[in-house]
Amino acid sequence: MKYRISTLIFLLFYLTRPALGHGESVDFMRDTGKIYVVVAVLAVIFLVLIGYLIYLDLKTRKLEKRIRHGSN
Amino acid sequence: MRKDWWKALCVLILLYTIVVGLIVPLKPGIEETLPVSVDAGELLVLSVKGYNTDFVNAQDQRRAWLKLDDTHAVAANQLLTVDERRVRISFSIPASLPGNSTGQPASLIIDDPFHGPMVKPDAVMINNAAAGGSASLWTTSPVSDLHVRGAFRYPFRPILYETIRTIYYHVPMWFAMIFMLFASGWHSIRYMRFGQTVNDRWASALATTGTIFGVLGLLTGMLWAKYTWGTAWSWDIKQNVSAITLLIYFAYFILRKSFDDPERRARTAAVYNVFAAAMLIPLLFVIPRLTDSLHPGSGGNPALGGEDLDNTMRAVFYPAVIGWILAGLWLSQVLYRIRKLEHEVAN
Repeated sequence: MKYRISTLIFLLFYLTRPALGHGESVDFMRDTGKIYVVVAVLAVIFLVLIGYLIYLDLKTRKLEKRIRHGSN
Repeated sequence: MRKDWWKALCVLILLYTIVVGLIVPLKPGIEETLPVSVDAGELLVLSVKGYNTDFVNAQDQRRAWLKLDDTHAVAANQLLTVDERRVRISFSIPASLPGNSTGQPASLIIDDPFHGPMVKPDAVMINNAAAGGSASLWTTSPVSDLHVRGAFRYPFRPILYETIRTIYYHVPMWFAMIFMLFASGWHSIRYMRFGQTVNDRWASALATTGTIFGVLGLLTGMLWAKYTWGTAWSWDIKQNVSAITLLIYFAYFILRKSFDDPERRARTAAVYNVFAAAMLIPLLFVIPRLTDSLHPGSGGNPALGGEDLDNTMRAVFYPAVIGWILAGLWLSQVLYRIRKLEHEVAN
């Protein structure tokens, strides 16, 4: 499950990369008043918070398992 | 659910800061001027490229100056509008520079009722090739009667451009980090005094989210720096001290992991955490003020003012600080509750 998500994220970035890189301008990130830097900053915040959510998800899952099977 | 009103507030505030932070346009500004230098006494035809401008508008009322300092400026002879983003402005540069200097940069000021004043600092370098002419012409055309345009727009800053909005997402990360880490330290003090597990659990949860915000501040800062300062990591003092701060807290988590006995872990971690929180004061508040930095307000107090953070930006920035602190408390609270349940299940 973990690998599938990371593969998906990798594929998403890999597939959109040529579309970003071969634009008309010399540098995509510096185009349109560098607005994509702000977009990238928001994306970083989003991804890190999603990472934290996954961490909490895994912790909760462990807890659920312990409650279900560990009632001895 | 009723005690959770602040979580709804957090979502609303963050939504507001993201929407308003992205949707409000920048003020019009001067992006580029050519040529970059001219000899005194020559006729200068300056090609100006505007940003967010509509030069076709109010072109009859437009005026322009080249300004050396508060008392020396020369007004434009002629302004020719090419299109929305381009104007050509001609100046007769006086034959000599005041004070017989060999060269001096001049700032370009363009003003009209539609755009308001637009400034490009040090737009043209004026070389005093043939000294000896009259410099008195510099003083005959003072910059006066500039228009004020009171629209809700963010400042236009050279190099920064649209990335000035990053201040709403990068700086609140540090505010949230500092809040979480001090709150964590406070819980550690409480633990040392009263020995309640609750406090230890809160201290560890708050330190976790504080560190996450620190990592976020560092990552967003590196991204911003890459496109404004040139490199992601330039060994700037604030980059260095925040990296050290993160290392101190990474050590805190390793310390926690290395004890099996919960009592000993809690006690040792509390002592370490109080020292770590105390270290934040010299690291984040004292050392950056002592040396030069690429950050605004270098070598002094933080630059939370002027053109780097004007009143329109404050209307987004301060809510963003509150919103991210609430978000941090929320994230810490969820982690705290999970840890508490883990503890209850184990017993």
